[in-house]
Order: sequence, then structure tokens, then C-alpha cells
Amino acid sequence: MPRVLYGKGVIAGVAIGQIMIVGQALDEYLEDYSKGSAEEEKAKVEPAVALVTEAIEKSVADLNAQGMEEQAAIMEAHAMLVQDPMFIEAMLSKAEEMGNAPAAVLEAAKETAALFEMMDDDYMRERAADIRDIGKRVAKAILGVKDPELGDKKVILCGHEIEPSVIANIPTESIAGVILGQGSTTCHAVIIAKARAIPTVVGLGDGIDKIPDDAYTAIDGEAGEIIINPADDVLAGLEEKIRIQKEQEVRYASLKDLPAVTKDGVSVHLAANIGLPEDAKAAAAYGNEGVGLFRSEFVFMGREDIPNEEDQFKYYKEAIEACNGKLCVIRTMDIGGDKPLAYLEIPHEDNPFLGFRAVRISLQRKDLFLPQLKAILRAGVYGKAAIMVPMVINAAEIKQIKAMVAEAMAELDSEGKEYSKDVQVGIMIETPAAAVMTPLLAKYVDFFSIGTNDLVQYTLAVDRVNHNVSYLYNHFNPAVLHLINTTIKAANDNGIWAGMCGEMASDPYAAVILTAMGIDELSMSAPSIPKVKEKIRSINISDAKKYLAEILAMDDGDEIREYLHRVIDEK
Amino acid sequence: MTEVQLKVENKMGIHARPASLFVQKAKSFQSKIQLAFNGKSVDAKSILAVMTLGAKNGAEVTITADGPDEAEAIAGIKELIESRFGEE
Repeated sequence: MPRVLYGKGVIAGVAIGQIMIVGQALDEYLEDYSKGSAEEEKAKVEPAVALVTEAIEKSVADLNAQGMEEQAAIMEAHAMLVQDPMFIEAMLSKAEEMGNAPAAVLEAAKETAALFEMMDDDYMRERAADIRDIGKRVAKAILGVKDPELGDKKVILCGHEIEPSVIANIPTESIAGVILGQGSTTCHAVIIAKARAIPTVVGLGDGIDKIPDDAYTAIDGEAGEIIINPADDVLAGLEEKIRIQKEQEVRYASLKDLPAVTKDGVSVHLAANIGLPEDAKAAAAYGNEGVGLFRSEFVFMGREDIPNEEDQFKYYKEAIEACNGKLCVIRTMDIGGDKPLAYLEIPHEDNPFLGFRAVRISLQRKDLFLPQLKAILRAGVYGKAAIMVPMVINAAEIKQIKAMVAEAMAELDSEGKEYSKDVQVGIMIETPAAAVMTPLLAKYVDFFSIGTNDLVQYTLAVDRVNHNVSYLYNHFNPAVLHLINTTIKAANDNGIWAGMCGEMASDPYAAVILTAMGIDELSMSAPSIPKVKEKIRSINISDAKKYLAEILAMDDGDEIREYLHRVIDEK
Repeated sequence: MTEVQLKVENKMGIHARPASLFVQKAKSFQSKIQLAFNGKSVDAKSILAVMTLGAKNGAEVTITADGPDEAEAIAGIKELIESRFGEE
């Protein structure tokens, strides 16, 4: 009987293979273990550590030889952890205390991992899994447990948490897919899977226990679907999907250096959304034209004090330089009560999304906003930069922002620091208030960038992560479309540019309609660029304008979506 | 015994990959080396101890080395931290 389970798809692609449950429990081995004296047990720890170290060093060498440097670095960190004096000391003293070497090693790893789990930093919390992984390997070495043998079959690895060492030690060609019970997308297992482009679904929670070992299974890493024992017709459909996927990769690669221009010559800039300066370099692989949204939040997060102008300048300069002369749009701080930072001193709010956040904080906290503006203005010397302010609702805010920019320039003048006078100043259109007023706001700014995630949420009064109402969340909702159309028209009429940096920009069908509305730039996560570019290159603007006229007269978001998929795919 | 006080200026702090580089460097010397931050002092050759110390960007840390190559150890570690662990 086929069965279908759903998780969160994190690495796209379809995979078919046999389930291999990993992260096997050691309970039975531990029960059967006959322990010696406390002295004997203690003496077993160091030889086991040496064995594991040797095995890890061998996989580091193998991975380096295969050019998989990122995974090699992860395993190198494991080699250091297993030989760590603090960890060895913990294992030895536990072995003496418990008189059972394998159990002691697992306990020492658990206690050490707990230290990491308490930290207020995602990266450190995830190291807890590495430490448990290592503890388990040492325990297995003492117990004499071998890793599962893989034949030449293709497997889908499946476990609550998969130890990075397990994935790293299996050759890429044997792993068809990965299924994880835990939901993190930044754990090492996911990082390794991403580097190898292995389709991956996470976040099944305890649902993962329903997946039987060895079951013939298909997974869709985009939809997050897991089909156990798929029927023949489903299987045939999935195999076809794999074939299309391979063809698509080749096509996308060939588009990299081509412009996003319709058959009849209307072009749109496709830019990348980035969170860290180095993302701008990675985006180049997808053929981005500059950055349409650099989320500056990372500068503010994970620290105890306000980031100073110098620090921020370095990050912005790095991102701007990575844009190679194309525009780099830097969004000023977009934080509120939902992500409290101690130094912001925001009191608890019942409704942080309607509260003290983003520009509302920036305008009251000169000590935060001025250094950020000065840093961007200075970094602007190294390329083309723009300042983009989030959550604006009215003209008064824009006037205050511009006064602050003028003040930042005056300070830089008096400090004799070099800066660019050509940095554009624009606002995000993500509140209905700003969207409706764009015909009047356009005269104050150099550009509008539509942030659809919030615009949809605020316009429709829908929290997209609330399962009871998420069906209402649709960027083709007519109210949203009319606000977007108003915004783009206002920009065109006033001679400024309009862009979009929300998720809607990465929907190829939406991109067709936005191009017809006259949008100048679409900014999205870099891997989405090829699919949007391909769609834009396949249409005529005259057809797209006809579809636009049709949908602006329609009153149902779901019907609009179906209509667009139908007419655009027919072409 | 040789001692130096330094400010951690790389983006990640002594954390993640920089922590591995730091410990590798410390291990290349014979001297006993301690890393102190925020009133806590740990063995600079223990990756776990160094990572759990939490010396982030902007942290003021003190390195002490005691042994035959203590001067070289301090110089080597100082250079690593001042080079911001090779981060761009």
C-alpha cells in the first residue's frame, strides 16, 4: 500500500531509493556488554579515541581527494573534537565513575552536548549534534559495532538526526535522498546534502518513525512529499520528473549570462536577495545583476551592543564590491519585538508586527540609524549603493529619513571621511498605507521596492504561518495585485524605478504579470533567478499585457492563479 | 610566563572555524596556553573549551603562555587574531 507523508522540502529534486534508517540505537549492544573493572573500563577510552581519530582522518583525506572541501572541513572539526583534552577528561572520569566505558562515553558526550544546547546561538546549538555523533562513534568502537554495509543500491537516508559522519562516509552516488525528523535547515547533515545537491526533506518530527526500513520510497525535495511504496503510475510520473529536472539543470546553466528580456525586447533586472556579504559572491553562479535586497539584520543580531559605523562599513563595502559595479540595495535595520535584541530595549509587545519595529525604531534611535547611514554612504564609494528603508507608512517618515541622511552626510563632511553623494534613497512598499499613497510618495524617493511577504500579510490580515488561515495567503489576491499595480504605475509616472524583493518575485507566472505592469527589477534568492529568467525570455510583452488586463478585472485570487498558469503555459 | 591582551575583531569571533584555527595554532606550541575572557580562563588547546567560552566579535581576551616556546606562541596567536583569522 502506498503511503504519503509530508515534511518541509529543503533541497529540491526528486529521488527514488530504498530507505536506510540511520542513527541506529545502541541500547541492545549496551545491554549485552560485559564490563570489566573500573580500571579496565577507563583503559578502553583512549584506544577507542585513537581508532575513531584514525577513521575520521581517513575520511578527511578521502573527501579532500574528491574535492569535497566543505565536508572535509566538517570532518576535520570532528577530528579535533574527539581528541579534545576537555572531552577526553570527561570520558575518562565518567568511565571511572560508572565502570562502563561505552555508557560513560555516551554520557560524557550527552553532558558536553547539553552545554552547547544551552547557548543562544544557532551555530553553537547545532554543534551539540556533532558531539553526540562523536560520542556515539567512540562508544561503537568500544562495543565493536560496525557501520551498516551499503551494497551498490541507492538509498534514502532516514533518521531523527543524522550524524554528519554517516553522510560524509557514504559515497554521493549511493545517496539518493535524505529525510530528517528534526527541522533545522542549518545542521551539518543538511549542509552536506546541499553541497552534494541531494534532495532533502526535514521536520517530520515523530512521523519519521512511521517510515519502515528498506521500504522502496520516493521523495520530492521541493514539495516535501515522501511516498512510501509508490504505485507504478506515480513512480513513472516521478521518473519523468527526474528526467525533466536533469534537462532543466542544463538549460538553466546555459541561461546564466543571457539577459532577462522578453521576445519583443522588454528587459527586467534580476537581482539577488542576500543575508551576508559573501552571498553576493555565491549569487554570481546564477547570473544575478546586482543585489536588490541586502538584509542588514545579521549586523545587528548575535551581539550585545550596537554595531559601530566601522564594522558596518566593512560588511557593506564587501557586499557592494561583490556586485561588480551593479546596484547593491542595502535595507536598513528591519527588526522588531519578534526578534528582541537586548540593546534595543524594546518592552514586551502583544503584537510586535504592528508595533515598534524597523523604521519606527531607526527614527527614534539616532545612535542606531546614523552609524548605519554613514556606513552605507561611505561604502558607496566602492561601487553603486542604495539605502532602502522598510515599513514606511507615510510621507512624514520619508522626510525624517532624508533629514537623517543629510545629517549623516554633514557629519561625514566634518569628519573629513570620503563618501558617495550618489547613493539612492528608496523605501519598501510593504504596508497598504504606503502602496495606496505611492502616487504622492514617489516624488520624495529614488525608488520603490515592493516587499510582498509583508504586503500580502498586512493587506489580507493573514498570518501565513497560522495553519487555520494560511489558505487565504495568496499574492494573486486582487487587492494585493491592485496595490502592486498602483505602486509600479506611480513609479513609472514619476520617473523613478520600481522593484520587488518579496517571494512573489521568484514566482515565474507573477514575474510575467509584473513585467507587464512595468516593473524594472525583481530581486529573489539567487537559485530562483534561472527559472524566472527562462519564463521572461519565453513571452511577448503584448501577450503579457493582455493577461494583465484580464486579471485586473477578475475578483478571485485562486482563479487568477489558475488563469495565469493556463494561458502562460499554453504559449 | 608571557601574556598579551587582544581585541577579537573578526566577524565570527573565536567561534566555529576561527576556533579550530585558533586551537590548531595553540597546539603547534609546546607551552601551556590559556585563553581568558569575561573572568573565565580555559585551555587554549581544547576546542570545546574555546568554543564554549563565547569570545565574540569585540571581545577583549587575554592569552597567557608558559613554557619553552612561550614568546613564539604569543606572537603566533597574536598574529592569527590580528589577521582576523584570514576572514575577508
